[in-house]
Amino acid sequence: MLKKIIEDRVFSLLTMLIVVVIVASIVFPNTFPTFDNFRQILLNLSIDTIVAVGMMILLISGAFDLSVGSVVAFAGCMTAYLMQFYNVPVPLAILAGITASLIIGWVNGFLIAYQGINPMIQTLAMMGIVRGLALMVSGSGIQNLPYWFNAIGQSKLFGIQMPVWYMLLTVGTFALLVNKTIIFRRFYYIGGNEKAADLSGIRVKRMKMIGFIISATLAGVAGILLSSRLGAALPTMGRGLELRVITAVILGGASLSGGYGKISGALLGALFMGIISNIMVIARISGYWQEIILGIILISTLWLDKSLQKKYSTIA
Amino acid sequence: MFTLSKITKTFPGVKALNAVDLIIHPGEIHAICGENGAGKSTLMNILTGNTQPDSGNIIIDNQPVVIQNPQQAFDLGIAIVHQHLSLVDSLSVAENIYANQQPANAFGFIKFDELHALAAALLETLGMSNIQPTTIVSQLSPAQKQMVEIAKALSRKPSVLILDEPTASITEKESKTLFTILRKLKAQNIAILYISHRLEEIFLLADKITVLKDGTSQGTFPVAVLTKDNLITKMVGRTLKTVNPTSSIQQEVLLEVKNLSGQKFTNISFTLRRGEILGFAGLIGAGRSEIARAIFGADPAEGGEVWMKNVRLAINHPADAIDYGIAYVAEDRKSQGLFPMMSVRDNVVAASLPQAVEGKFYSESAARKMAMTSKDDLRIATPDVSQQVINLSGGNQQKVVLAKWLWTHPEILMVDEPTHGIDVGAKYEIYEILKSLASTGKGIIMISSDMPELLGICDRIIVIKSGKIAGSLLRDEASEEKIMSLAAN
Amino acid sequence: MMTSKHFLSPASKALAVAVLFLAAACELPPRNSASGVSATSSRQQDSTIANEEYVMVTTAVTMPMYVHHDQAAFKKWGKKMGVKVSILGPAEWDVPAQINTLEELIGTRPTGILVNGTDPAIAQVINKAVAAGIPTVVYDSDIPNSNRHAFLGTDWYEIGKMQGEEMARLLKGKGKIAYMGILGLTNMESGFQGLLDVLKKYPGIEVVGKYDDKANVEEAARITSDVIAAHPDISGVCGFDSNSGPGIALAVREAGKAGTIKITTVDWEPEHLQLVKDGTIQMLVGQKRELFTWYGAQFLYDMVHHTNNVGIPYQINTGLMRITKENVDEYM
Repeated sequence: MLKKIIEDRVFSLLTMLIVVVIVASIVFPNTFPTFDNFRQILLNLSIDTIVAVGMMILLISGAFDLSVGSVVAFAGCMTAYLMQFYNVPVPLAILAGITASLIIGWVNGFLIAYQGINPMIQTLAMMGIVRGLALMVSGSGIQNLPYWFNAIGQSKLFGIQMPVWYMLLTVGTFALLVNKTIIFRRFYYIGGNEKAADLSGIRVKRMKMIGFIISATLAGVAGILLSSRLGAALPTMGRGLELRVITAVILGGASLSGGYGKISGALLGALFMGIISNIMVIARISGYWQEIILGIILISTLWLDKSLQKKYSTIA
Repeated sequence: MFTLSKITKTFPGVKALNAVDLIIHPGEIHAICGENGAGKSTLMNILTGNTQPDSGNIIIDNQPVVIQNPQQAFDLGIAIVHQHLSLVDSLSVAENIYANQQPANAFGFIKFDELHALAAALLETLGMSNIQPTTIVSQLSPAQKQMVEIAKALSRKPSVLILDEPTASITEKESKTLFTILRKLKAQNIAILYISHRLEEIFLLADKITVLKDGTSQGTFPVAVLTKDNLITKMVGRTLKTVNPTSSIQQEVLLEVKNLSGQKFTNISFTLRRGEILGFAGLIGAGRSEIARAIFGADPAEGGEVWMKNVRLAINHPADAIDYGIAYVAEDRKSQGLFPMMSVRDNVVAASLPQAVEGKFYSESAARKMAMTSKDDLRIATPDVSQQVINLSGGNQQKVVLAKWLWTHPEILMVDEPTHGIDVGAKYEIYEILKSLASTGKGIIMISSDMPELLGICDRIIVIKSGKIAGSLLRDEASEEKIMSLAAN
Repeated sequence: MMTSKHFLSPASKALAVAVLFLAAACELPPRNSASGVSATSSRQQDSTIANEEYVMVTTAVTMPMYVHHDQAAFKKWGKKMGVKVSILGPAEWDVPAQINTLEELIGTRPTGILVNGTDPAIAQVINKAVAAGIPTVVYDSDIPNSNRHAFLGTDWYEIGKMQGEEMARLLKGKGKIAYMGILGLTNMESGFQGLLDVLKKYPGIEVVGKYDDKANVEEAARITSDVIAAHPDISGVCGFDSNSGPGIALAVREAGKAGTIKITTVDWEPEHLQLVKDGTIQMLVGQKRELFTWYGAQFLYDMVHHTNNVGIPYQINTGLMRITKENVDEYM
């Protein structure tokens, strides 16, 4: 059991989560452990988690995408723009928004995988470009979106708001894909040793492109869902999202050098960060401290991971 | 005089050294032989202060010592030339040789003139005056780098010089230079510990041979009393016959390469028959690996055609080659063949994931089965297939890579330096694997710089020189001299 | 003879049933999000309240202007009244994060909430707080579509108007003007509109551009020097966010045109005041931010304690200060 906690990040994160939940329930018995609060926590992290799924896949293959926050804003703003100013029917506007995100992912993938541009630089540049596009399209924000659009993010099913269900659907689908399909398994090999993967017959460039397309598309979906939930499209959405998501995913077991991570880890990482954030609201701890505490958690996790790995892990 | 007495060292789960005795006399070239895992590295690590023995004594000139760290080892006069280079590419030759002991003035600034003069003098005495002290190391060839590594060790004026596989990445010519240097040092009363798998060299150079097997010393022998065969017996415990020259070659032509040209080679044409083991000999850098990579689709070809079983192949990527039934075991397994942090199991199925399935979905147990089969078939030594492959010895790692390729059911297997850095026992196992593949009708292309190896199992040897075919020798007519004369100027 | 086949496989049938069931179980959001009716009374409360606590929720919680004015006044009020006050919110200008914080806060039932009106999108969560019976007051920019109990703030249109009138006066009705601020914010757009509406009356004044300085001093400076390079005869620059002023002033001074190119801008931090004193900036439009939160908190308190039976004011314009070289010393 102890060995499992040490070796399997998902398992150890889950254990830490349970410990934190128990402690928080004891310290704040009236406000923390309520159905409403948990419901709210899940709703509040649903958007980040959807993006985190895409980021985890990229990190497994050894890459990452800094433009996701901007894509979230742009997809939401573009969809809203089409609905508001061109009266495009809701489903078509959503399709357009998702397609636009896909294209952004395609451009990232092409330039990085086929043209050899450094991923950090490319996605950083894209981050600026796409944010600018979002501002252009939405000015100071587009309010009063159509009812049926808002209904997507604001309806409830069995008392729980839809974004949570979409998040679970995304996590479940991709967890299955990553664990069970040969195609997604290849991402691990690319992350493990890109040259060897290429020589072993894995079409590395194609796969990396696919990774960036998935990341941007999921970010687009998340952005549209966020706008739907807010009932408005704000060009400032997704500010700082990429770093939050990368932190969640690394907490969840990914390594910046690639080859590690599970989709369930992305969910748990986001969950952990969401719960910490919630505890800080309940405890009335503000701004500066939130970031400091999250930074400390991340460093401690990585340090603990490294030292335990040195001592015990030989099993892959 | 250096004496190691009853040195024992245990790591979790394995006894690396078991009461090993070793006496080193000045002015003596003392070879250490043993399979990988026999304990040679551990013994050297103890001598160089990188680790401490659990029990036993080290006695230098009748004084017992404890070597706590590498700096202390230097101070005691022990220097080692590593198998894997420890040079800094961006600095000059002189800066590398005198790393950490540069002549400096009172303020700590390096006196470069003095540094370069010292380096030049050192290189001169070693007969390496063609290497300039101011040259940046990244511009040197691997062989020259190895020479600089040796100069670096010598700069500390050691009384014991340890060399670990020094000829692994250098050519015959440089090896001869190295041997001359070593004999000079011997005449200066320096003791030399020489670790190598190349038995011919050992018989050429060494005065004494100590054999390690499974952490135990099998004894120290004057070289005159040993023969190659009984040395091998002591190392691996069985008499390994030299690979017997039976051939499985058939009539049918499997592969036909016509006028293939690439960046480093031009107009390469040859055929490969079923059951044939075809060797590619040549100097390092002649272009042999590039030819194989072009056939395999890892590099783009600039011209020419590749035909297999009378069908012209269109290969743009290794995935295409694998579909056609061609496999390529790359030269550098660590960077190009293995996924170091992944398990044996995951490495074995890397090129054949579609087979590791239950129904339509990837199944870890199916992959495990495949890995276990490979483990048994190829006798891969590992506690379990879930072990990270980086923990295996070189020979077993190479077997894992071979296993990976065997699962793609290739018709043609190209292997590039397949026994590089592998102990004797594993080498012979790999020869057996290649031969049995040939006997089932597969065609094998073997790129190697180990001439006895090529002469031992190839039906035919093509010699490549500067990107062109210099000649082709059948087994009966081939010899080391003929190969060398075709390969070199 | 045709053999009959199953129209759908059993698996597809099961899936179809599941989807229909889920669709039926789906609970759609209410049609009308805002009522616009002012709700000035809260649930009936005892005068002695357990765990009395007032919470402020803003974005950019660490921004110096917010910290030194809004939050300082809020804390001072809490001390004076002897009640607990807390300040929450993201460090970035992240409206969704502010909404998330509010939603999680509602569950903890604070006595009253003071919300920075950052974006109309927060109307929904404000209504949630009100519906949960929590007195909620908005400050800085109004969220008119919400059920908030009161609003205190500045009329941004006025800010633009003031700047427009001052510029017209300084330029004597002729010249070229550029303006900048944070693009994408409703209140700022109001400000821009106020400026433009005034300038329309002066045909001799030409507006050469509207720029986004992203609330960044270096960016504001860069934009200003670019404008000076493109329009060497530029006569005035107007700024609308805290960092516009210092940035514009820097570029103008470096171009050697301090005093020649007129500058009006917002806020009155020490650096702004110094720039007015040395003549680089001609006029500051100062907000009375302390009043937002001091009186906002007081309104919450009075609502909760039923101080006056008639509730609290609905909308307060806290007014603006006009700071020029003449009166700058009063503020330093």
